[in-house]
Amino acid sequence: MPDNWGFVVAAYGLAAVVLAGYWRRLVRRERELTALDARRRSRS
Amino acid sequence: MTRGLGWVAAVLLMGGLLMAFGVAPREVTQGNVQRIMYLHVPSVWVAYLAFVVVFVASIAYLANRSGAADRLAHASAEVGVIFTGLTIATGAIWGKPTWGTWWTWDARLTSVAVLFVIYLGYLLLRGMIEDPERGARYAAVLGIVGALDMPLIHFSVYWWRTLHQPPSLLKPGSATMPPIILAALLVNFVAFSVLYVYFVAKRVRLLRREQEAFA
Repeated sequence: MPDNWGFVVAAYGLAAVVLAGYWRRLVRRERELTALDARRRSRS
Repeated sequence: MTRGLGWVAAVLLMGGLLMAFGVAPREVTQGNVQRIMYLHVPSVWVAYLAFVVVFVASIAYLANRSGAADRLAHASAEVGVIFTGLTIATGAIWGKPTWGTWWTWDARLTSVAVLFVIYLGYLLLRGMIEDPERGARYAAVLGIVGALDMPLIHFSVYWWRTLHQPPSLLKPGSATMPPIILAALLVNFVAFSVLYVYFVAKRVRLLRREQEAFA
């Protein structure tokens, strides 16, 4: 059977994009909440 | 502590890649495309783990209305949906060269797709209901009912004639694979499990901060 490296690269590439995307989403949300906290603290 | 866990997960994932591509041999029948297994099988393991956590946390929430249990269920469902999606996508990519099709409505694939839709619905339900307490209660019921699909997924390959192979690992008796392939798979199991714990810990903390910020 041929090795089908293209399918292997597609599977691992997709997983990398999805997992890195989710991690970035969590980090971005954390930064937003920290900025919101800082704004509230500076107002009070 | 969460950051440390993230680094551990990253190192273990690199180790998993090394085992999958550098140590595990080329499989005789399928060739190198079989290396997708080191991604596909740990993904479905994490999906199972995530939904078992949703099940237990949902019961805990209904029993004592604990906000921490609700946040854990919510975070675990979100991470579980991601890994179930990955399982379906990597399975389709693996299926095309080995089975000749991206998708077939066989019992194993269909029951996993149902699981994905149930927990996607779980997240949508949480987002749709404005009263957080009511949303958490309805979601907990769905989280418990949805877990009933997991035994169906596992035993589908025994109960029906399917294109999907029976389990090689999660079954009674010893594993039916060479030790080096088993070792590579186990490293990836550990790496994905630590990544799951990292994602859930980070998401739980964010949910707590969101609740405090918008209370």
